[in-house]
Amino acid sequence: MTCASGSRPWSRAVTDTGVYLYAIGRGMQPADLAGVEGVDGSLVRLVEVGDLCGVVSTVRLSDFGEEGLRRNLENLTWVDAVARAHNAVVEQCFVRGPVAPVSLATVCFDDDGVRARLQTWKEPVERVLQQVAGCCEMGVKVHGTPTAPVADPAQGAPGAGAGLAYLRRRQAESSQRQAASEAAVQVAAQVHAELAGQSVASRRHPPQDRRLAGRGDMILNGAYLVDHERRDSFERLVRRIGEERPDLQLEVTGPWPPYSFVSLDAT
Amino acid sequence: MAEPQPTQAAGPLNVGRPGASGMTSARPEPANLADILERVLDKGIVIAGDIRVNLLDIELLTIKIRLLVVSVDKAQEMGIDWWRNDPTLSSRGRELAEENDDLRQRIEALESRSD
Repeated sequence: MTCASGSRPWSRAVTDTGVYLYAIGRGMQPADLAGVEGVDGSLVRLVEVGDLCGVVSTVRLSDFGEEGLRRNLENLTWVDAVARAHNAVVEQCFVRGPVAPVSLATVCFDDDGVRARLQTWKEPVERVLQQVAGCCEMGVKVHGTPTAPVADPAQGAPGAGAGLAYLRRRQAESSQRQAASEAAVQVAAQVHAELAGQSVASRRHPPQDRRLAGRGDMILNGAYLVDHERRDSFERLVRRIGEERPDLQLEVTGPWPPYSFVSLDAT
Repeated sequence: MAEPQPTQAAGPLNVGRPGASGMTSARPEPANLADILERVLDKGIVIAGDIRVNLLDIELLTIKIRLLVVSVDKAQEMGIDWWRNDPTLSSRGRELAEENDDLRQRIEALESRSD
């Protein structure tokens, strides 16, 4: 169903706005979000179904309808601004209680559309809110090339010709690269396991691209659901791993709202 | 509203080798775009709204944005701005490509007629 060819086009014609859904929380008060602006400049408000609250704002369909989104999502400056605004709203909710962030650009035609979604997803959302209550998400990115033991290729080849020495050297370089990448996989798994041990839940995201990192390969891009109370000890653990492994650079981000831990289809 | 916001993402905190982590430790900055995007695009609850745009159809997002590791400004500072010049990434580029195809076909048609 599209905004241009809905089943009830006559009812669509009366409005050129939609309702953008940021997050779902529980037992929120309108005052919690007083003055908070949404992605399109209008104020954020609540749409409630029982105890569940959809955090929404009105948006223009010229920008957030199907056509508009298709166009705007190709515009990095627009995406940057909207993603940050979306995240800012979710964070405002997050500081006030458990919240399930909704993914970017979830737009309904009106408040009734949002209510219908809240009804439909009531149970899994409540379950998710329970799981993330009292927790935040911490991101840990690990860069570096773990050092692997290296054999000297020139040794053990006495009297070999220059050609053979060259081939041996190439072979050694190649196996060295392979060893380094195996070491990276192992080290990443170790670090992840150690961090996961201090978390309520954990996820590994695909490493981000090295071209923009400008600091060597990212070997781990982890997300950890951490009890607020244990955040300090989690960060201490990251610091300790960093000190123990001078060949790695660890970077902590967060605390984030629990984006990586609210999947409705996760069992 | 001046309430404290303990959970505001205050930007990456570098721990690890002091000398090796100069990029973000010197100046506090808001969370970088890649970190935000990988969360708001890929994570979070996925509920189909009335407006359906398959994010996977968006070329820029699928091909390029997911690669971003630093903010747009940072990337430009580093001289990385492929998305501006990559013709496959802008709708104008697609229009040009279509126009190009169209013109080729017309030339072919004209040439075959003149044979």
